[in-house]
Amino acid sequence: MGGTATVVPRIPGAVLLPLLALLLIGATLAGIGIGAVRIAPEQTVAILLDHLGIKIDVAYTQQQDAIVWAIRFPRVILAILVGSALGVSGAVLQGMFRNPLADPGLIGVSSGAALGAVGSVALGFSFLGVATLPAFAFVGGVITSITVYLIARHDGRTEIVTLILTGIALNTVSGALTGLLTYVASDQQLRQVVFWSLGSLGTATWTTVGGAAPFIILGLLLIPRWGGSLNLFVLGEREARHLGVNTERVRIELIVVTALMTGAAVAVAGVVGFVGLIVPHLIRLIAGPNHRVLLPACALGGASLVLLADLAARTIASPAELPLGVITALLGGPFLIVLMLKTRQAQGGWA
Amino acid sequence: MPSSLIAEGVSLSIRSRWLLREVSFSVEPGEVIALVGPNGAGKSTMLRALAGDLTLTNGRVVLDGRNIDQYPPRDLALKRAVLPQQTVLQFAFSVREVVEMGRGPRHIIDNDGVVDASLRRTDSYDIADRIYPSLSGGEQARVTLSRVLAQQTPILLLDEPTASLDLHHQQMVMEVARELAMAGASVVVILHDLNLAATYADRIGIMREGRLVTIGTPWETCTEALLTEVFECEIAVAQHPIRDCPLVIPMAKSADIRMDVERIAGAAGRNGAR
Amino acid sequence: MFRRSLQFAIVALAALLILGSPLSAIALQDGAATPAPAPQLPATVTDVKGNEITVTDVSRIVPLSGDVAEIIYDLGLAANVVGVDVSAVYPEGQWDGLPTIGFERQLSAEGILSLNPTVVIGKEQAGPITVLDQIREAGVPVVIVQEPQTIEAPTLKIAAVAAALGVPAAGEELVVKARASIDAAIARAATSTSKPTVMFLYVRGGGTQLIGGKGSVADAMIEAAGGVDAGSAAGIAYFMPVTAEAIVAAQPEVIMLPKSGVDSIGGMDAVMEIPGVAETPAAANNQILVFDDLLLLGMTPRTGEFLQELVTLLHPELPAFEATPAT
Repeated sequence: MGGTATVVPRIPGAVLLPLLALLLIGATLAGIGIGAVRIAPEQTVAILLDHLGIKIDVAYTQQQDAIVWAIRFPRVILAILVGSALGVSGAVLQGMFRNPLADPGLIGVSSGAALGAVGSVALGFSFLGVATLPAFAFVGGVITSITVYLIARHDGRTEIVTLILTGIALNTVSGALTGLLTYVASDQQLRQVVFWSLGSLGTATWTTVGGAAPFIILGLLLIPRWGGSLNLFVLGEREARHLGVNTERVRIELIVVTALMTGAAVAVAGVVGFVGLIVPHLIRLIAGPNHRVLLPACALGGASLVLLADLAARTIASPAELPLGVITALLGGPFLIVLMLKTRQAQGGWA
Repeated sequence: MPSSLIAEGVSLSIRSRWLLREVSFSVEPGEVIALVGPNGAGKSTMLRALAGDLTLTNGRVVLDGRNIDQYPPRDLALKRAVLPQQTVLQFAFSVREVVEMGRGPRHIIDNDGVVDASLRRTDSYDIADRIYPSLSGGEQARVTLSRVLAQQTPILLLDEPTASLDLHHQQMVMEVARELAMAGASVVVILHDLNLAATYADRIGIMREGRLVTIGTPWETCTEALLTEVFECEIAVAQHPIRDCPLVIPMAKSADIRMDVERIAGAAGRNGAR
Repeated sequence: MFRRSLQFAIVALAALLILGSPLSAIALQDGAATPAPAPQLPATVTDVKGNEITVTDVSRIVPLSGDVAEIIYDLGLAANVVGVDVSAVYPEGQWDGLPTIGFERQLSAEGILSLNPTVVIGKEQAGPITVLDQIREAGVPVVIVQEPQTIEAPTLKIAAVAAALGVPAAGEELVVKARASIDAAIARAATSTSKPTVMFLYVRGGGTQLIGGKGSVADAMIEAAGGVDAGSAAGIAYFMPVTAEAIVAAQPEVIMLPKSGVDSIGGMDAVMEIPGVAETPAAANNQILVFDDLLLLGMTPRTGEFLQELVTLLHPELPAFEATPAT
């Protein structure tokens, strides 16, 4: 308590959202235009336009075409999808659990996805070809989250604390099973999974984008309708109900949608940490905790963050590539500490 | 539009411990009912039952002729508002935003007018732009009351609204309750301060160990014998010097109780009460 | 007359310069063990998935693993290599200054393409597979060669790489040499009467401790050197996590480890801490041997040479080995 007790000047949503949209557009252009291979901007534009059916008079090679259209563009789209999914899911879970430190991992999505991924590798499944690992990761993530919810449910109600504890329990079980499979799998098989679990957008193709997009886009479209309810959730379970929110139904809807979005993101990009934690914090600091603004802002902000982090991942050590999860962790860790210290000072409580 | 709320034989047991036993009373429009009793008497539990939060073991709560558990949350929120004992916020919502949340079920219609009026009513207009988590306990309590007022319901259930407030604001809250009642609302308030109850309530319900011991006007219920028994401490009751209501005086445990009682009785006799 | 002689001289000089320059360029190439062969292109090979791949240009090669890089060096095409992975360590200093493409299993499509390769060549383990597909889509041939986990691996790999790069003759030479040195080592081992139990341990900092068993490269090397693979004998297939009981029960007389792994866990002291190791005959007789990774497990042209060394170490009663003069 104490400190400067007035409302820290906030940027209204009407200003912030367009700004974030501009940032995203800028990041997208940077992502498509910059990479290990140097391609002139006009050539990039020519390639994109050509694929849309418009021919302009700039020459480019087949290799440049492949790089821009088959490698960079799907990667950029995937970064936007993954970043927005993680950003929004983080905000939703923090509001739902009334805890600014929550992230999708709490309900078991990441550990479940990891279990699915290791399982598919260790048991040698490959009937979906390259898509086998992501498919198993996705199913693993979703099943684990739903299981957490169902176990925590009692008498038609789910207490938040029970949900958190069940999440922790299931995370532990997933981890243990993953460990067991790790023991059984060969070293060769394992190295595949280790790199996946560090997070990377290196396998982005139009197919991967097509696989993840429906779940993520659906989630992004649906989530805003819960903005008002999430605001009320913050008051407390009972109070939200007293104010007319059907907390049970809203909760399961949110868990399902979040699980689908995050499951898809983790399935194609591996475990990319900190995005779901940092982005909502940052946005709250700038624009306040109103979920009607927070949710779309986290989608835009998360997308930009992952885009730029991925750009760094594939250019800093070029021609090698750093794992995306490492970059976000390196950014996220210290950032969170600084944020925490400043917030505690400036305001009476958490942003 | 006034609403009627009736408790009929409300009973609740959890793991073979009875928290509420056969509590029956009705809450009429236009009245303030104070629920008092020692700690653990079941006052808060009863309030939750009236709010429709509980699955009862026996009995029922009837709201406007229907069993309260048949109302979907949204409809309930239009009819009754609940003031909790405390609201802890982890996020930096402003006071105004918190009060706006009370508009939840009614959203859009003339939000600002209602929110402003609610803020003024609890002396919270000046702190409207402050951050809720940074407020003192008393300020938070008043803001939460504003939120409840903003919900504009015919029934209000207030759980110890005066607990962290200073004298001025305690009176203010009870004035608000009276005004609401006079405008036709039904108000149930849990209080620890028997004098507040005696001064402002139309009826007082005394609870003990899950039962409603008695319910009636302040004069009917605030008798020395009953209060002393229920609260397990020496209590004297006198005529309030200004209002037509009892003055409840808990006695300190001193060696010479008889002497004190005689002195009070003497004074009471001088003022012509009883 | 004089003018005509001058013209002739000038034309002859010019011709010599023009014709001579490729030769001088070749002469100036450093690091070629043999004079660079002229690749016969286009070369068409069938890769491990059964697809036909045509390589038309080998002027810019990217090998995806260190053993493939080594083979390319031995084939005389080292000057054409434009980028290597982190496991390319032989010959020492050969690949310094070249850009690194990272780990064999975590490659970057655009990264590799930024090196402007004309052919990319690697083993089955290289990946992710989508990355290799993306490189192909960009018009660069990617050849993936098989690596069986047997003692045939070096010769098969050499042949496959040579074929893909259009130098089958040089490849054949190399194969013959490699085959001969491996066979010689195996034969020499056969003359020994001892069959020591050898255990291979794979370690990596961060908790990875595995015993090698049947079907692993180490198993093939041990068998070829006339030892008994303790892991295989204990019923272990491929790699399994160590247990103290397994190690002690196997009673290996010799334990082998890869050098980079040993370094990553903190040296020999850490090796002795591995449960069970200290109680083995290998520990008692100071027979815990650490070898360079590429040499021990890489299945490279040097494998035969290394096998001889291993044979000497495993069968000290044999007369000293005289290496044939280097070519």
